[in-house]
Amino acid sequence: MENVTKTLDAKGLACPMPVVRTKKAIDELSAGDVLEVVVTDRGSIADIPMWAKNTGHEYLELVEEGDVMKHYVRKGGEHASDKEESQLKTITNEEYLDIADKGQVTLIDVREPDEFTEGHAPGAKNIPLGQVEQRADEIPAEGDVYIMCRSGGRAGMACDTLETLGRKNLIRVAPGMGDWNGPVES
Amino acid sequence: MKVAIIAANGGMFDAYKVFNIATAAAATDGEVEIFFTFEGLNLIHKEGLKQLPMPEGKEHFAEGFANANVPSIEELVGMAQELGVKFIACQMTMDVMGLKKEDFTDGTEVGGAVTFLGYAKDADITLTF
Repeated sequence: MENVTKTLDAKGLACPMPVVRTKKAIDELSAGDVLEVVVTDRGSIADIPMWAKNTGHEYLELVEEGDVMKHYVRKGGEHASDKEESQLKTITNEEYLDIADKGQVTLIDVREPDEFTEGHAPGAKNIPLGQVEQRADEIPAEGDVYIMCRSGGRAGMACDTLETLGRKNLIRVAPGMGDWNGPVES
Repeated sequence: MKVAIIAANGGMFDAYKVFNIATAAAATDGEVEIFFTFEGLNLIHKEGLKQLPMPEGKEHFAEGFANANVPSIEELVGMAQELGVKFIACQMTMDVMGLKKEDFTDGTEVGGAVTFLGYAKDADITLTF
C-alpha cells in the first residue's frame, strides 16, 4: 500500500489491545492520513474493519503475510465531513446509474490504482486522491463531473480539493464501489 | 454508542469479560459506564484486582493467558480509565462489606442503583456479567 502516513506495530497483542492501540494511533493523525496496523491477533481480521465502520474511518484493505496481518485504515474527517454534507452535492449509486444510462457522463474514480484495476464503473477515469490536485487539468471544469471512491470519504475530500481550485461542477457518488450493484469493468 | 455494564462477579474470567468489552467499546468511541456490585467490587479493589481468582479447576488456564499475551487486569483497568470508562461502586455493597471509596482504583465514583438506572435508561447496550 502506498501513502502510509504511520505504522503501528501491535504484533503479539491480544484483544482488545489492537483496537485500543489503533484508536490511540489514529487520534494523532489528520483526516485522510493512512494508518498501517501490523498485528498477529486473528480476531482483528473482523474487529478492525468493524471498528473503522463504527468510528467513521475508512477500512482500505487487509494484507496477510504468514502469521502477520497488516490492516490499512484511512482516517475519516468527522468535522470536515459534517460541513461537507451540507455543501457537497451527493447522489446515490442508483441515481448515478440512472443518469449514466441516459447519456455520456464524466466519472472520476479517486481510489488507488490497485483498487481501480480490480474493478470500476464503466468509463471511469482513475485519478487517485493524492494526485487530484496535480492532475486537476485532466478533470473538465465545465459540465457535471461525478466523483467516486469506495465509500464516499475520499470522493468527498477530492471534491473539497477541487472546490478550493474553483471548481463548481462536482457531484459525489456515494457510497461508491464498496456497495456497487452496477456494471463493472476491470 | 452508549454502553451500560453491571459487574457482579469477582473472578478473573469475569474481569476479562467486563474490561475487554468496556475498553473495546470506549476505543470505538462509545460512552461506557460500569456499575460494580457485590463480588464485582473485587475488580476495582486496589489490592483485590491484582489477585483475582481463577474458577476452581480452571487454574491451568493461567499458562494460556500468558501464552496468548493477554493484557493484565491492572493494565486493562488503566486503559479503560484512560479511554474515559466511568467506574461506579455500589454504595450498599460497600457498606455491607465494610469497604471505602479509597479502597478502589483512583477515579472510581460511588452511587446507588438509581445512579446506574439513570445512566442505563437510554443506553444502546446493557450487559451484565
